[in-house]
Amino acid sequence: MPNSELVDERVTEEQHTGPVDLLIGIAGAVRAEELQAHVSKLQGLAQAHIAVAYPGSGKPESVPAADAGFRLVPYSVAAADPASLPWVVSAAAQRAICTLAAELDAKACVVVHGDLIAFDTAHIQSLSHAVAEKGCDLILPVYPSRKYEALLNHGILAPLTRALYGQRVRYPLPPDFGCSPQMFRKLSTARDLGDGGLLWPSVQAAASNYQVCQVNLDVHHATQTEGLELSAVLASLAGSAFAEMDAMAAYWQRVRSSHATATFGSTAAQVGDGEPADTKPLIDSFLLGSRNLQEIWGLVLPPVTLLELKRLTRVSPEAFRMPDSLWVRIIYDFALAYRLRKMNRGHLMGALTPLYLGWVASYMQEVAALSPIAAEQRFEQLARAYEEEKPYLVSRWRWPDRFNP
Amino acid sequence: MWQQIEESLRDSMGRVFTKIATLLPGILAFVLVLLIFILIAWLAAMLTRAILNAVKFDERTSSGTNTLTEWAPRHAPTLLVTRIVFWAFVVIGVLVGVSAFEAGSAEQGISAYVFSYVPRVIGAVILLFVGTIIGRFLSRSVLISAVNLNLQYARLLATGVRWLVFVLTAAMVLDHLAIGGEIVDLAFGILFGGIVLALALAVGLGSRDLVSRSLEREANRPVEAHAEEKLHHF
Repeated sequence: MPNSELVDERVTEEQHTGPVDLLIGIAGAVRAEELQAHVSKLQGLAQAHIAVAYPGSGKPESVPAADAGFRLVPYSVAAADPASLPWVVSAAAQRAICTLAAELDAKACVVVHGDLIAFDTAHIQSLSHAVAEKGCDLILPVYPSRKYEALLNHGILAPLTRALYGQRVRYPLPPDFGCSPQMFRKLSTARDLGDGGLLWPSVQAAASNYQVCQVNLDVHHATQTEGLELSAVLASLAGSAFAEMDAMAAYWQRVRSSHATATFGSTAAQVGDGEPADTKPLIDSFLLGSRNLQEIWGLVLPPVTLLELKRLTRVSPEAFRMPDSLWVRIIYDFALAYRLRKMNRGHLMGALTPLYLGWVASYMQEVAALSPIAAEQRFEQLARAYEEEKPYLVSRWRWPDRFNP
Repeated sequence: MWQQIEESLRDSMGRVFTKIATLLPGILAFVLVLLIFILIAWLAAMLTRAILNAVKFDERTSSGTNTLTEWAPRHAPTLLVTRIVFWAFVVIGVLVGVSAFEAGSAEQGISAYVFSYVPRVIGAVILLFVGTIIGRFLSRSVLISAVNLNLQYARLLATGVRWLVFVLTAAMVLDHLAIGGEIVDLAFGILFGGIVLALALAVGLGSRDLVSRSLEREANRPVEAHAEEKLHHF
């Protein structure tokens, strides 16, 4: 049974209106008035047949559907656990949208975040244009860079994806993206790995050897962090990356190097970051973890890494720097422990949190005096370290007991 | 009179030697049976390990969620099953040995007594095993959560939780084995109640300054959050 349980009315509607050129899916709950206001902004789109997929089971009233050259199609996803993190809910919606696009036999599909910030003609054209004109299968966004934002993405998700799958993409877990028919068909059948499995379009594209492109989007999604614990977020995002890594091990062990991804559109203006935050609480969290979690880290990390972490605890806060190679090896060792289930996975990801905060403190101190562009280069340097240390990961992955430096 | 004492001692010695002579075959039978069963246990364990390795038992058990390795990570499932098989044979050997002892000696009713006690021992072993695992799991959960909440006394908290579970388990095990009778219940009640009372007094009296400082810190958190706003992890 497909993920998307569509109402019969949609099938009838499809017969009336014919094929869909572009399906725009909204991955998140949206109010009828908001949807109406945003749909009216799409008047300028050139495509003949556009369908807008929204979560729900009925049609909102007073929305200019067929008259305006596009129609509204509801899709439904399984009721989410109220405790689910926003991106888990979003991933389920993205899957349902891709399934719907496959059922409607759309020529292209654009998925946008439920906050509708990217739901306007310019942004949707940016995402859909590359499918039609450039022959891309997957179009991922590049958001304006800020030094102290998306640190989890820049510190773990993006460089890990790059090193493993050879795709140099900035946001491997995007809230907005565009895809070709073969790509959304692939995503609609992508395995849900459980544990709040997220949808990794870039990984699926890399494994299928599909063409991946990026487009600069001048969009800033507000992060819903209220009430969320960092350890829970880290467990969800990094845990999902590790689960994907385990599932795709046969593929990524063959990938030797990364390649650049074509990027379209003009770069958005850089945004000032203001004064850097105080790193002392972060370093204190790292030190507290170091004092209390040695036994747990010892189950995951090899002696050399533990020794280097011990050295870090003795330096002054001003001189606190976590070398890239150390951070990368920590991530690789935790990924391996996740695979081997050396301990409860919730505990494992909880034990990673103080180490992550230590890396954040180190990174912030390094880039405090740098411009946003220089900070970008710092991320590039980190991504290269991930690639350089990949042989270490492959060795440990293949021979976890024999190769333990 | 001296002659009577000598006779009496001689009789006693005779009875002791007779008793030893009657027990010796039983003891020998017990030791022999036990040795045979240890050998069988060792062979069965080797065979089990070979079979489990052949079917890649560790990999299969680790593929599901919430597996045994997550609860008791120090041992691989294969090792755990192998040990269970080994000790099961040893326990059977002891039981058979007791029967052999009873058959080989004039003593009656030993095996009936031992066999009636076996279910209690098995229950106690299971309780001890589960209690130890739960204690370690909860202790680790508390330690990690407390560290991530920046609690300075994280280790103390985790150790406290672990020992509370261990003490509770020990009391349950002794109660199950019917050792100590009401003394265990009483001692456990006093110990547990004492700990709770001590904590209450410590928080209420001795550590009130510490608690109030801690609460003040919590109340002042919005001021710290201002600095955190500049950081966005996701």
